[in-house]
Amino acid sequence: MEPVLMILIVVLVVIGGLLASLGAHLLPVGGAPAAMGTATGIATGTVQIMLGATMTGLFTAASVATFSDSLALVALSGAVGATVMISVVMFMANILYVFGCGVVPISGRVDVDPITKEPQAPYKTPQTDGHGVPNVVFVSGMMGGFIGGLGGALMYYALLNYAGFSAGTAAIGALSIFVANAIIAAYNIRGTIEGFHDPKFKRLPFALATSLAVSLLCGIVVVIAATVLGGAM
Amino acid sequence: MTVTPAVVEEEAPTKKGLNFTFPLEETEMGIVAGIIAAVITIYTGFPAVIKGVGLILAFLWGMDSVHKTSKYGLGTGVPSIGVLAIGYGVIGTVMGLALAEYGRIGQLYPAVLVGVLVMGVIGLVSGTMSNHEKLIAMKIPHLERAMMELGMAGTLIILLECSIVTGSLNFGAVVTNVMNTGLIALMFIFSCFAILHPYNACLGPDERRERTRMVAVEIGGLVCVLLGLALVVLGTSPYGILDGVSLIVFGVAVWVVFFRMFIKACMDEAYSTVGTGLIKTIE
Repeated sequence: MEPVLMILIVVLVVIGGLLASLGAHLLPVGGAPAAMGTATGIATGTVQIMLGATMTGLFTAASVATFSDSLALVALSGAVGATVMISVVMFMANILYVFGCGVVPISGRVDVDPITKEPQAPYKTPQTDGHGVPNVVFVSGMMGGFIGGLGGALMYYALLNYAGFSAGTAAIGALSIFVANAIIAAYNIRGTIEGFHDPKFKRLPFALATSLAVSLLCGIVVVIAATVLGGAM
Repeated sequence: MTVTPAVVEEEAPTKKGLNFTFPLEETEMGIVAGIIAAVITIYTGFPAVIKGVGLILAFLWGMDSVHKTSKYGLGTGVPSIGVLAIGYGVIGTVMGLALAEYGRIGQLYPAVLVGVLVMGVIGLVSGTMSNHEKLIAMKIPHLERAMMELGMAGTLIILLECSIVTGSLNFGAVVTNVMNTGLIALMFIFSCFAILHPYNACLGPDERRERTRMVAVEIGGLVCVLLGLALVVLGTSPYGILDGVSLIVFGVAVWVVFFRMFIKACMDEAYSTVGTGLIKTIE
């Protein structure tokens, strides 16, 4: 294998891992409190939300990769697939919270919505940490889906076209590296996060440093495997 | 102010002794399961049932690691660390399978263990960084060791499953039979559940390691049934269709025995139980 291709695989896997980590920090993760409507976000953990979004992203990216060799097109299709998935999930969560629980989508971490300047604090139920998916959180979640899907699709492209894996191997390999990075981000978040306006978002550099190390090692593993196989599979 | 006398507690009802005691400590279990599973992994000539035993041992090892890490509270739920283990497992499997042809003697593939060791190193790095005070600072005792063991156990699990389904550890055969058929997705999620579900379902103040392990063995049985079905459908076993059928029978037997044992242990150890009619009372 050419050295340029080797470096390209490692670089793309590292960029994908870093984007996975960043994307996980932007998602509205509500966890168990959100299941009771007492916290902002979707009522499950970071891993499940990120995995669902990226799986969809990988499906769209894989479909596009069957008829296109363009890196930008494959990566963007993955990003759009993940964004659509996360948007549908957030929208349905809002419908359930508003019409099912009867709570207003409201942020618990800021008093005024940073984007629309809508007041948040007067509508918040006392003793809770917000409800549903308000505007700023929705925008942040879409950004998280886009960035996460982009990262997953970049890894898929590197494994498929540069390392020469088959489509199935490339997809499961990309998903595995993605999952490892998303989980490290989840440990950094510790429970719930609302998005870029959340104070916990400032912890991002720690997760990025760990993700860099882990995805660098995973990239080297992929390069070794691809070199040994000589692009046979 | 009068001091109220200490309440004389009612004597707890005598518990029936458990008939399932696995006498191994966590470290011993890791060593024993690791060595046995590794030996079964590198020699692919074993019948599927023996590989199934190795698979269940690897599941027990992974479950133990999840157990000792998650009891301190991860903050994101137990499932995350189980998914992490299998995620590392898939990467290690790709690495191990790529190197499999080196030093191959007949059906003996010792080089696949390089993948296991490499994932141990990556697990150690991620565990160290996750626990480091200046980085993620999770402050979980022995997280480094647990993540290392999870990487190794996850790789052994996926390698063993590939070995069961394809009957060899040839990269081409695995890609054709496991990756391109989509079976890897089923393997991924079912192995995740075998590792994460036991502790996730049993956690709480009265959690007991012996009881939790029964669930791991039980799910191992169900995974064996699934792999047996795949083996029958793909028809890749050198021993013919009997290999797959025997794995299904083995899986069903393991599931029945350990599910019964688990329900019985729960009923014996609970202060009192109320039947919902969903599960027939075993008496």
